[in-house]
Amino acid sequence: MAAMGRLVHALLNPSPLGLAIAILLAITIPIFLHSVVFRSSGLITLPSILLIGPSGSGKTSLLTLFERGTKAAATHISQTPIAVECSLPVGSVANSDRYRSENDPTNQAHKKFLLVDTPGHGKLRHHALENITNPQNLKGLIFLVDAATLSAGDEGLRQTADYLHDVLLLLQKRATGSKAAKALKEIPVLIAANKMDLFTALPAALVKSSLEAEISKVRTSRSKGLLDSGIGMGDAEDEKDDWLGEMGSINFKFSQMEEFDVSVEVVGGNVAGGEGPTVDKWWKWISERL
Amino acid sequence: MLDSFEILTTSGVVLWSRSYAPTSPSIINSLITNVFIEERTLPGAGIADDVSAANNPPYKHDQHTLKWTTVKELGLIFVAVYRSLLHLSWIDKLVDNIKTLFVDLYGDQLKKPHTTLVECHFDEYFDQQIRELEKTALNQDSRVAESAALVEEAPPSISQSSGDEPPPLPGILSRGQSKNAFKDLTSNESTPVATPETSRPSTPAGHILTGKAGPGGKGSRRARKAANAPSAHASSGEESYAKKNRAGKAAAPKKGRKWNADGLADEDSDTPLDYSAPANGATSGEDEVKDRSGAVEEVDSKSWGSKTGGRFVLKDLDDQVQSILASADAKKSDTAAAPAGIVGSSLSAIGGLFRNVVGGKTLTKEDLDKAMKGMEDHLLRKNVAREAAIRLCEGVERELIGVKTGNFESVQAKIQTAMESSLRKILTPTSSLDLLREIDAVTAPSAVSLQKPRPYVISIVGVNGVGKSTNLSKICFFLLQNKYKVLIVAGDTFRSGAVEQLAVHVRNLKDLTAREGGEVELYEKGYGKDAANVAKDAIAVAAQKGYDVVLIDTAGRRHNDQRLMSSLEKFAKFANPDKILMVGEALVGTDSVAQARNFNAAFGSGRSLDGFIISKCDTVGDMVGTLVSMVHATNVPVLFVGVGQHYTDLRNLSVKWAVEKLLSSN
Repeated sequence: MAAMGRLVHALLNPSPLGLAIAILLAITIPIFLHSVVFRSSGLITLPSILLIGPSGSGKTSLLTLFERGTKAAATHISQTPIAVECSLPVGSVANSDRYRSENDPTNQAHKKFLLVDTPGHGKLRHHALENITNPQNLKGLIFLVDAATLSAGDEGLRQTADYLHDVLLLLQKRATGSKAAKALKEIPVLIAANKMDLFTALPAALVKSSLEAEISKVRTSRSKGLLDSGIGMGDAEDEKDDWLGEMGSINFKFSQMEEFDVSVEVVGGNVAGGEGPTVDKWWKWISERL
Repeated sequence: MLDSFEILTTSGVVLWSRSYAPTSPSIINSLITNVFIEERTLPGAGIADDVSAANNPPYKHDQHTLKWTTVKELGLIFVAVYRSLLHLSWIDKLVDNIKTLFVDLYGDQLKKPHTTLVECHFDEYFDQQIRELEKTALNQDSRVAESAALVEEAPPSISQSSGDEPPPLPGILSRGQSKNAFKDLTSNESTPVATPETSRPSTPAGHILTGKAGPGGKGSRRARKAANAPSAHASSGEESYAKKNRAGKAAAPKKGRKWNADGLADEDSDTPLDYSAPANGATSGEDEVKDRSGAVEEVDSKSWGSKTGGRFVLKDLDDQVQSILASADAKKSDTAAAPAGIVGSSLSAIGGLFRNVVGGKTLTKEDLDKAMKGMEDHLLRKNVAREAAIRLCEGVERELIGVKTGNFESVQAKIQTAMESSLRKILTPTSSLDLLREIDAVTAPSAVSLQKPRPYVISIVGVNGVGKSTNLSKICFFLLQNKYKVLIVAGDTFRSGAVEQLAVHVRNLKDLTAREGGEVELYEKGYGKDAANVAKDAIAVAAQKGYDVVLIDTAGRRHNDQRLMSSLEKFAKFANPDKILMVGEALVGTDSVAQARNFNAAFGSGRSLDGFIISKCDTVGDMVGTLVSMVHATNVPVLFVGVGQHYTDLRNLSVKWAVEKLLSSN
């Protein structure tokens, strides 16, 4: 007890040692907190690019190609989304670094970004659609299509157009539905026509026109189709009109999406193939968005 | 023999693969879609962790059988593909051992976020396992004279494990194996080694193995010469690595070279091999002291110590593999019988309670049991059939065991979200169900495709009194509003008044849609005729007269009456409908599973149902469990939902709505 008392006494005395310790603590604690909490949390979230598209269009292959640089890995059907850290290839400059001096040492470091792959299987598309509606620094969206399955009357074209319609509709709703005064960041869409190395693949211009035509069909049949269950059954939330693009237009054009801050580009390329991958234009598109 | 072995992640990237025969990627893709995504095969054993491959039902596709296992926390899938004709008893063990090895060796690499790259040099481990297990399997089969030599060679663990290996392999396989793996021993006695390859069309793997061993030996000899010669080509690290490898491989079938030795026999006696291997070690050691001095030194000392030539690498690998497998086994038995004192248990109990509230708790079966029971009761109250409810809950439980709860997340909330996502996964159709576009594609195909326009045929089946005719006329009304020309066929030639009932519907529909431009007619041939023939005739008539859609009504039938159901197969063949829809009422409870299953199977092997119409959903309120039961039993999507008495009361299924209703608590 006596020892305890002495200890307390010594502690409460204005001794130089106590003062020194107190000052030391007062200075080091903020530094310590800064280095532990702030540093470890990471300064910024990396800009991310979302890869979506129907099953078998080559999303995971593209992901591995972008990560490894030279050759895509063998892949199978994905079941889970995956985010991979990629860096822009040498020679391409991100759009945000446009005005920097060439001698800026930070320019030497590759610009990094997250490429998010999503499963394309019909039952697992909610992964992708959730990522669109809830973007974390989402800079753009790459919609991969298999250009070899897009000839008119093909089942592949129908599935692809359906999915693309849903995605664009979500983007449109996001633009029109937001009540906030602050304008949302636009999300550009790149329709990457993959598998151009195949003989049956359509050229990019044809991919664009056939997708536009098919989306027009989707749009009309959706508008004529039955209502969803749950609507008009008591607890009906007022569903807004689900018309993609310009109201009253007969044919859908990707340019109609610009009204909703969604720019759509169609660019061809291939991930695999005999003469190696040709993805330079896609890289260019990505670097312009970062 | 094995055709291929792949290790892939759930995100679809193949981490490591070995293929002995060209196999199409569609084989494994179909495994993933059917087993993992759509859960089409019975989910008796499944996606759970630590389930050995033996407990997972083998998946058959074309002529191949796939054996698989998963590691949930790392998102890994291990698949072995082999021809269904073969019976490989050791395949389960192979898949399990490879799983254990791979996870142990590369587990920390796999846990890294934001990358798909895994540096793995797994080939030698895999080869070692294959060799070992083939050896074991052979050990079982051939109780021939050479067993002594075998036992001497086999590590102790193998001779132990050989006790619980399944009974002998079929002769053809064992012969193949004895040829491949033990040609040195068997050939001396001229056992039927030389069976022609034609009898075994699918066993190139063995040849590859032996083929590797043979030239491997040669290669190592060449490399040795090269190392002795002043040329500097063997100085890279890569080369020494390969050499080490080759030396290891060459060592096992060392005697085999003698068997092989028609032209090479001159320098193949045992003594020079025995003598040269240490020499090799020494020379390579001298060559690459800078590169890999440590490794080489070690190897050197061992080979000198044992004086067994190039076998050291193999032994090394064997030991490593054995130790990994043994430690994994030990870990498993440890967790099985976790002893805890009173203090320990009470502490952990308090911790568990605390974590229950705060989150961050790793879920175990005990934690989940009670909550899962509650969830099961909840589903049963929602009129989900017991079978479906139990399987759903089992699936969710398997998914959750070993998962950590989030911050401030209770077990119940975790189960709720898991159940929601699994319900959503079940109810979401694989492909889009846009009926109008499908009809358009058939009735007005694009000019490019070579199809001729023809009427789109929809037929409707179901048990008695569920509302087949009513729903048929609802669909008809929907089509008429979209200006199609519809022919309704009275396929119910059995029940009195059925034809007249349809006639009334057609009259009403005509009146209702006359202004909108739809056209509808009834095709009927009275009572007593064969429904299949009537349908066939009707389709011919429709094609002739330019109808867009043919809707065929059928007689209601009890799903467990074989006599009535058997006529459906003929019907499907004759009418060949584009869509066969089954009407099920939302009111039915447990029976829904059997109904759906029997109807799904009734159309013969090549045909199944294309969709369900769940009628009378307005009469059950929240209890829409029938939806889940039927889809769960058959994996056929719900196309429409009937929500009222009027022609307009037909809806597409909104998955969100259904899941909300199913999980709402009241």
